Amino acid sequence: MKKSGAQIIIEQLCAHGVTTVFGYPGSAVLPLYDALYQNAHRISHVITAHEQGAAHAADGYARASGKIGVVITTSGPGATNIVTGIANAYLDSIPLVAITGNVDVPLLGKDSFQEVDIVGITQPVVKHNFVVRDIRELEFTLHEAFRIAGSGRKGPVLVDIPRNIQTEICDYQGLTPADAEVPVVQISKDIEKAAEAIARSERPYIYAGGGVVASGAETELLKLSRRICAPVGLSMMGITALPADDPLNLGMCGMHGTYAAAMTEAKSDLIIALGVRFSERATGDPEAYTKNRTILHIDIDLSEIDKNISANIGICGDIKAVLQKLLEILPQRENAAWLQYVDQLKKQQTVQAPDGFTPKNIIETVSRFCSDDTLIATDVGQHQMWTMQYYPFTRPRTQLTSGGLGTMGYGLGAAIGGCIAAGGRKTVLFTSDGSFGMNLIELATAVTQQLPITIIVLQNGTLGMVRQWQTMFYGGRYSQTTLDRKTDFAALASAFGGVGCYATNIQELESALQNTLDNGPTVIVCPIDIDEKVLPMIPPGGSARDIITS
Amino acid sequence: MEKFTIELIVANRYGVLNRITGLYARRGYNIDSLNVNETSDPKFSRMLIVSRGDAAIQTQMVRQLSKLYDVKEVTLMSTVNFAK
Repeated sequence: MKKSGAQIIIEQLCAHGVTTVFGYPGSAVLPLYDALYQNAHRISHVITAHEQGAAHAADGYARASGKIGVVITTSGPGATNIVTGIANAYLDSIPLVAITGNVDVPLLGKDSFQEVDIVGITQPVVKHNFVVRDIRELEFTLHEAFRIAGSGRKGPVLVDIPRNIQTEICDYQGLTPADAEVPVVQISKDIEKAAEAIARSERPYIYAGGGVVASGAETELLKLSRRICAPVGLSMMGITALPADDPLNLGMCGMHGTYAAAMTEAKSDLIIALGVRFSERATGDPEAYTKNRTILHIDIDLSEIDKNISANIGICGDIKAVLQKLLEILPQRENAAWLQYVDQLKKQQTVQAPDGFTPKNIIETVSRFCSDDTLIATDVGQHQMWTMQYYPFTRPRTQLTSGGLGTMGYGLGAAIGGCIAAGGRKTVLFTSDGSFGMNLIELATAVTQQLPITIIVLQNGTLGMVRQWQTMFYGGRYSQTTLDRKTDFAALASAFGGVGCYATNIQELESALQNTLDNGPTVIVCPIDIDEKVLPMIPPGGSARDIITS
Repeated sequence: MEKFTIELIVANRYGVLNRITGLYARRGYNIDSLNVNETSDPKFSRMLIVSRGDAAIQTQMVRQLSKLYDVKEVTLMSTVNFAK
């Protein structure tokens, strides 16, 4: 059957189960937007206020649903505006297909109006990208884009489609996901070696990350920790891999992880690392990290094994499949001494926070108004760390946060995408005056889409995390971090068509939380002290013995 | 530092060389010599890249190159000790 390029794009999106896309029109995607108009009953298109917001929304959509997020923009600035969003998805292994228009093929390479080499620009931050210069390649290219984004270690793929390709006519075959040749990730033969190391270990510790969530291996993780009596420290990307109230869950590990996670890790004789890349924010000093212990690393990406930390045993494979194989051969262990040691550490860290309007009390109050399936988005900085420390995440795919890239301004777009993916389920965004200031224009999108997003702005008048480092490591010289702005975020929320208010104590916060909109965004501004710090903290390059707790 | 040669069979398309050399550049490895030729099958090219690095770097490069979409085969050829 003959179809235009634009129609082929629509058919391929539908063939891959895409029902929602995020984007922003422009001259180089006019034929595609015309096809979207005619296919509005098949694909819902959400226009954001800025292309960056669309990219973050597609990312949030993917995180919340487990499906592949799709973002569409025009050429030139439309394309460059999503680069941060693509890099964000790349660093967190989030499956995304980005479709950009470009100038007509004969105009490529001539510095035409709104022409950029987006394939060149995004090359280091995509799994792969394509420019389609021949209509006959369009269908297969899009089909490949979805296969690449969603298989193996997931990630973003960009397809650049010149405008004239969208209008040309070509035979359409009707490729579906079933036609894709997805290479099966072979599990290496070291399963038995891994089982032996686990059997030998007296103090096993599991370090679980985003790979567990990407693989859907939460049940296997829980079984493994129970089976071998191993406490679990979570990377930020893995924070939903185990319910917060699980007795073996130590919470987040690494620079701003819990005291119990740091001490357990330091005491362990075996680290079982699942779906992690040993980011320096998670390990600190690599020598101290590996000294006197065995490292068993399991990851779907072979290039991660021995990259940052060299592993005694490395197994490449899908986490769920590898853990299932391991569980087949691992016997039930008893290890009362180790569990008791860990339990005592967990008790030690429950330091009573002071009463008052502190980040901990604010986040815990908000959590009382949430259910297990409430989506929690964050921006980046102190409030993000506090959310990871104090919010009791229970279910997988309820956390939307920028882990690897640390993108301030990520949160609102992600909350919008996540909320839409979850069918308009209640969503909370924890942010701060610095991060929120970057992309708050997306309040417009949340109003138009009538999304029940509650936005908690922890307003401390500073770029808090940078200020904390300036306090601790730069002699209190607050270079460019004190904002001294007069922005009234509550009034701004009303200006956008949502509602906003201030809460200066827990009672006011509770009453504000009782009155949030269920068909639009609610901004609750919570002023907090400028010198609130994220603790504990292991200084960069340090280890558990350097932990700062007060 | 040890000299090592990697042989690649890659898709014979525009932009592929850029992807390969970009990977070396991002990881901070200098390319000492580079040779590209079309194979008997014009759909593919053979590349020979000489670079320097220890065993860990060599393994890492092979694994990173293997991930590239346009790379069909990666072989770590020879290693020659390079006297400083």
